[in-house]
Amino acid sequence: MEPGLLKSADWPFLIDLYFFLGGIAGGAFVIATIANMLDSQKHRDVVRVGYYLALLAIIPAPIFLIIDLGVPSRFLHMMTVAKPDAAIGANVISIGPFHLKLLSPMNVGAWALLGFSGCAFLAALSVFLEDSKKTGSLSGLRMVVGIIGGVFGFFIAAYPGVLLGATARPLFVNAHWLGAMFVAVGLATGGAAIALIMSSMGVRARDARSRLMKVTAFALIIELVTLILFVVAASGVGSAGISRALSVLISGQYSVGFWLGIVVVGLLAPLALQFGGAIRKANPGMVALVSVLVLLGGFLTKWVIIGAGQVVLS
Amino acid sequence: MARTLAMFTDVSLCIGCRACQVACKQWNELPAEEPEWTGTYQNHAHFTDKSYRLVRFIEKKDDKGQMQWHLMSDVCKHCAQAGCLEACPTGAIYRTQYGTVNINQDICNGCRYCVSACPFGVVAFNEDTGRASKCTFCNDRIHNGLGPACAKACPTESIQFGFRDELAAKAQKRVAKLHEMGYRNAQLYGEDPKGPLGGLNAFFLLLDRPTVYGLPEKPKLPQSNVFLDSLLSIGSAIVLGIGAVVAFRERGGQGNN
Repeated sequence: MEPGLLKSADWPFLIDLYFFLGGIAGGAFVIATIANMLDSQKHRDVVRVGYYLALLAIIPAPIFLIIDLGVPSRFLHMMTVAKPDAAIGANVISIGPFHLKLLSPMNVGAWALLGFSGCAFLAALSVFLEDSKKTGSLSGLRMVVGIIGGVFGFFIAAYPGVLLGATARPLFVNAHWLGAMFVAVGLATGGAAIALIMSSMGVRARDARSRLMKVTAFALIIELVTLILFVVAASGVGSAGISRALSVLISGQYSVGFWLGIVVVGLLAPLALQFGGAIRKANPGMVALVSVLVLLGGFLTKWVIIGAGQVVLS
Repeated sequence: MARTLAMFTDVSLCIGCRACQVACKQWNELPAEEPEWTGTYQNHAHFTDKSYRLVRFIEKKDDKGQMQWHLMSDVCKHCAQAGCLEACPTGAIYRTQYGTVNINQDICNGCRYCVSACPFGVVAFNEDTGRASKCTFCNDRIHNGLGPACAKACPTESIQFGFRDELAAKAQKRVAKLHEMGYRNAQLYGEDPKGPLGGLNAFFLLLDRPTVYGLPEKPKLPQSNVFLDSLLSIGSAIVLGIGAVVAFRERGGQGNN
């Protein structure tokens, strides 16, 4: 791609924030579902915090997206228009006024956001009803909602990466690992957010904190691997335009955010602390510190990569 | 579907008068913009939401060190496989029966995904209306048999409009003639329906390599990444899911309770 001609969508901070919150929501939901499936009694706190957090994190998401639109009142056009045209692309499923465009990650993402929000609401509701003893056990319902919502949750975390990969932006056009990386960021930040809340729960939550630190550490390792693969894939193409776009990220305008923010604060520092005792001892202060670093790093990952990808090269 | 309509721009005939740019502005009622200093006579540097046509003025030294002036009237390519159209989440971008690509202003909600999905940087966001806009090949004119305003205005027939198959034949003859005349680098860009993006419905005869004009050598449909990227994401999700299961399954963890 010749970078000189290309334009950028110039998505603002709000979109980075949405991608970040979507990752937390998806990651927290998946962790809650896994904890619920393996031992819903023992991991009760993780399930409760995870499902509540998923709902809370996803509530502002559509608001950010709608505010960012040029014509916010038309947000429903993402999924439905009164009279859809027949020729709106390849691999389109149209049912009445609704359209699903399989090659448009933004369109599929809007549907997934709807599905995920429904699951997050039902899962949180089931926890609330059980806790308040208004009903008997809802574990059957929660299992079904958890599995469907877990798939959506991974999707919500991943699709922004696929969405960016399906643009002509030089930084993203040949870098196939963004979606895979964003899943890892989502699981890491989701786990860190649960762990941060549980660091206020004292000794009772020590086992849960330790397990959450393990999940987070594993996700950070996957994130590190996919980040390296992303940079290698982008730099291996040999196009001058792509090399210049990559240099904006690793040695130019965004390099401080990349090396200090993503690599040191978001990956190396929390990993060092985790293997230095946060997993083993799981004491609240250390877990809280690791969690804050992971959350900060998770946000910076989205902000820096999207920002660098949108820089228009002359 | 009706016979595909196309535009053939022969840069060897372009004199850089910019009548096309003016005609486009007039017919589409696009307001004036503040001029930019681009270092050449070119104005503006890029397509904007108010400039659908753009004459590029490119200065390049040839092998002997002599300055050459390349002129090229650029426009939306109305790609047979269009990145903007596939990206559009609302279905506002659609293909007409003539094979052209338009943005339905009554549907567009201004998400700007198409802007970053165009491999040629054509689609622009209009801050005033909050919608994306670009060349329509003068949709209203071509549905009434008039042909686009730019082609009508072009005094040298550098811009020609008509049925795609007829124009392609003409273009091939012209490029052969230019080769005979000694223009060794003359080449067609986007004429081949088997080429990148399934061929461009606005194709060009260039006198040098596409990159000289700022065009990508092999433009790629951005959505061709979706399948592989999704597959890698699914793989990552499976690995991470297994990791989380292992972490929550292990006996005891720490601080047994």
